[in-house]
Formats: sequence, C-alpha cells, structure tokens
Amino acid sequence: MRAVNLIPAEQRSGASVGAGRSEGAAYAVLVLLAGIALLAFLYGRADKQISSRRAQVATVTAQAQHAQAQAGRLAPYTSFVALREQRVKAVADLVDSRFDWAHAFHEFGRVLPTSVSVATLTGTIGAASGSSAAAAAPAPSASTSAPAGSASTSAPAASAPAGGAGSAAAAAQTVTSSTPPGSVPTFTLTGCAKSQPAVALMLTRLRLIDGVANVTLQTSAKSGSSGATASGTGGCQARQPAYTATVSFDPLPTPAATQSATAVSATKSTGGAR
Amino acid sequence: MTGRDRMVVIVVVLLAVLGGGWMLVVSPKSKEAGKLGKQVTEAQAQLASAEGQLSNARAAQTQYSRSYASIVSLGKAVPPSQEVPSLIYQLSQATNAKNVDFSSIAASAGPGSSSAGAASAATAAASAGFSQMPFTFVFNGSFFDLEHLFQQLNGFTVRKASGGLQVSGRLLTIQSVKLAPESSGGSGSAASQMLSGTVSATAYVLPAGQGLTGGATPGAPAGAATPVSSTTGAASSPTAPAIARVTP
Repeated sequence: MRAVNLIPAEQRSGASVGAGRSEGAAYAVLVLLAGIALLAFLYGRADKQISSRRAQVATVTAQAQHAQAQAGRLAPYTSFVALREQRVKAVADLVDSRFDWAHAFHEFGRVLPTSVSVATLTGTIGAASGSSAAAAAPAPSASTSAPAGSASTSAPAASAPAGGAGSAAAAAQTVTSSTPPGSVPTFTLTGCAKSQPAVALMLTRLRLIDGVANVTLQTSAKSGSSGATASGTGGCQARQPAYTATVSFDPLPTPAATQSATAVSATKSTGGAR
Repeated sequence: MTGRDRMVVIVVVLLAVLGGGWMLVVSPKSKEAGKLGKQVTEAQAQLASAEGQLSNARAAQTQYSRSYASIVSLGKAVPPSQEVPSLIYQLSQATNAKNVDFSSIAASAGPGSSSAGAASAATAAASAGFSQMPFTFVFNGSFFDLEHLFQQLNGFTVRKASGGLQVSGRLLTIQSVKLAPESSGGSGSAASQMLSGTVSATAYVLPAGQGLTGGATPGAPAGAATPVSSTTGAASSPTAPAIARVTP
C-alpha cells in the first residue's frame, strides 16, 4: 500500500512553525518594538549620564578653581617656606663641606712623639684631588722658607683660592663654599727631632691620624750635613735633624656622603675631640 | 517569494532599523557621555592637584611662625649684611673663653675680588649662593687652647645628630691655619709655649637685595595681606609673633 500525504503541497516545506496567518510579521513587529525600547533605554541612560557628568564637571571645576584661588592667596607662605628650606640646605651644605681643624690638631697632639718638636704647622685646603695631582702634595716652600719662629701672615692669602676648576664647577651647583667637596686638606710640619730615627717614628705616628691619606717627608737634615739648608736647620740644636713633612688628608666629602655618614653615626659628636 | 525569503527580508530590515537607530541616535550620545567622563576625570585630577597645593599652602601657613623663627636664626650664621662688628664680638667672646689672645682681624681680597677694603670683601659667589667674605685672623695661645678655639669656631654652626642645624653664631669656613711660635714674646717657659695662629677663614652673607626674611614680618610673609583662613588658628595671626628660638 502506498502512503499518501494529506498536507497541501504549499504547506509541506518552508513554512515556519507558529508563523500563523501573519506569516511572521507579528514576531517582526514584536522584535522591532523590543529593539526600539532597548535603544530608547540606552539613549535615556546616555542622556542622563551626559547631564550628570556635565554637572559634575562644572562642580569639580568650580571646586578646583576655588582651591587654586585659595592656594594662590597662600602662595607667599609657600614661597617663604621654600626660601627657608633653600637657606637651610645651603647652610647645611656649607657646614658639611668644612674640614674639622680642631680634630686634626687634636690628632697631631695625640700622635706626635716626644722626641720631636714642631716649629711651624701649616694647614691648607688644597685643590680637589681629581683636578691636579700636584695639588695633593703642594711644595712646602712657602712655609718652610720662613725661619722658625716667624709670625708670617702670608700663607692664608696664598692658599685662599681653594679648589680647582672641577671643584669650582661642582660647587657652583649649590652654594659656593671656600672649601668645596673634594678639596684635599694638607698640613706641612717643620721642626726638630732628636735623631733621624725619631723622624722615622714621627712619620709612622703621623700615619695613625684619623683621616690621613698620605705622609711625605720633604727633608730631614742635620746642621752639619751636606744636604742641610738654611730653612731646614733653623732653630734646631747642633747635630739635631731639622725636618719638613707633609701630611695629606682624605678629600672633603660630598654633601651626600656626609648626610649618609650623619645618618649612620648619629650618636657621634661633631666636635673635634673624638 | 517563499516564506523563508520573507523572513530573511524581515530580519534584515529589522537589523537595519535597529543598527541605524543605534548609530544615528544612541551612539553619539554614548560618545558624548564618554567624552564627558574623560572631562570629569581631568577635572578631578585638577581638583586633586589644586587641593594638594592648597594643603601644602595651608601647611606652610601653619608652620609659618616656625619657619620665620628658623630663618631668623639662620641669620645669625649667614646675615644679610657683613656684620663685622658682631663677628668681632663673637670671636672676642670665644677667645676669652679659651684663654686665647685675639690679635688681629683683616679683610682679605677673595677670589674674583678686584678691589680691597671691607666693602669689597664680600665677593659675589654663584648666583644661587651666598657671598663670601674672606678674613685673616691672628690668635695667640697654646696649642691646645688654639685647638679648642677652632672647635668653638666650628661650633657656631653645626649639624645636629638629627640632621638639623644648630646655630649659635657666624658660620665660618677655615681654609688655612698656620701655627708658629709667637714672636713678640714674653719670657720664660710659658712664653715659649705660646703660638701664633694665623687663620684664613671665610664668612658668608646673603645675596644682596634678598634680605634676611625677604620682606616677611612675624605675622605674615611679604605679599600676604591678611591670614586667609580662620581654620589655621593662631599660627599666622599677627597677635602670635614668631619667636626666634627654634633651631632649623
């Protein structure tokens, strides 16, 4: 027996389920309405955001302007505090760039042996170590040429322009110190010793001074020896060697190094007697 | 046209209508809202910056009296003018305390200085820095008295352990020292122990025209008419003048 399809031929395929008599138009209208409703909702939300954000911008801008105006009225106070901080830093830099002369003299008094006497002791802050190698150990002729016991005042004028070109440039970035960081303190000692071994002992002891980088003997000659000069023997007893020695200290620290050292050794005294 | 074709056309038309509505109506509004959101963010950043400035300014106003006292105190270390009399007075007091004879003081010509004299002793240093005043002092005393004197000279302005500054006198930077037996003499063993110390040192003064406080008064800095905010209390009130005892 052959099966017979009783569905009309135009309805057998392609017809959607539930299309009904409107053939899907009702669904399309519903979807369209839903889409329009969604668009309307999004539009309304964006419009609301716009209005609220406009108001927010206006409010925040007004607040910012008000705050700026107030800050502007108080600007002299800010400037004054900045001036104060600038001065404190400048003075602190100058304080940090100083050499502790008292401590150096204390150390000389501590280490010099009794078999040695000092006729003159001249200390100067030399040029920066990086600018000139010769500056680290300046010729002591200016101080040794003067006879022992003289009260010459020419040494400071000769040593006043401390610091070379490099150190001057570095110092110009902040406050110009007369003893800029990197300068090398150098002492020149002249005097008499009881014997040549006493001079050797003195040189050894001088190396014990806190912060000393180098100790150099210039001359050590007895009055009767062939190498003795007028400056080298002045004031010494017969057969006692007159000596001239140079003591170079470490270069003066930079402010950053000084600050870190201050932070580490906060309990140390800043005075000379350590 | 079959039913399927009609459905396709309907869907396409729906998508076109909805897409067009989105692009023509909703999307511009969303973009405008996004732009305004960025403007809000920028305005809030401006507000935060302005509030930060205001906060700093209020803090500066609050600590004004302390800053004023500090800057006046710093004036003892680096005065606005040469103040040679006060320097001599301080050196005299220090030498008296250490049994040292203050023999002489002379203004030196500093580096870059072209003319002599006390008026020209102040040498213009770097533009941002202080002016230098080189001096040459001669002190007479024993070795250890001179050592103590140098310690006291350094002690006029020192760093505290906390990192601050303690100012009790003029800031001096010693460049050179020469110790030699005193020539003038006396007699006996005491005289033989006396040394003459020639010290080359530099004092500093503020740049010309800057003034110690830059025109500020104990009540308010230059340019501030009256205290602005009542919330800052008596810190900036003219009735609460600064006291120059606080160290920086």
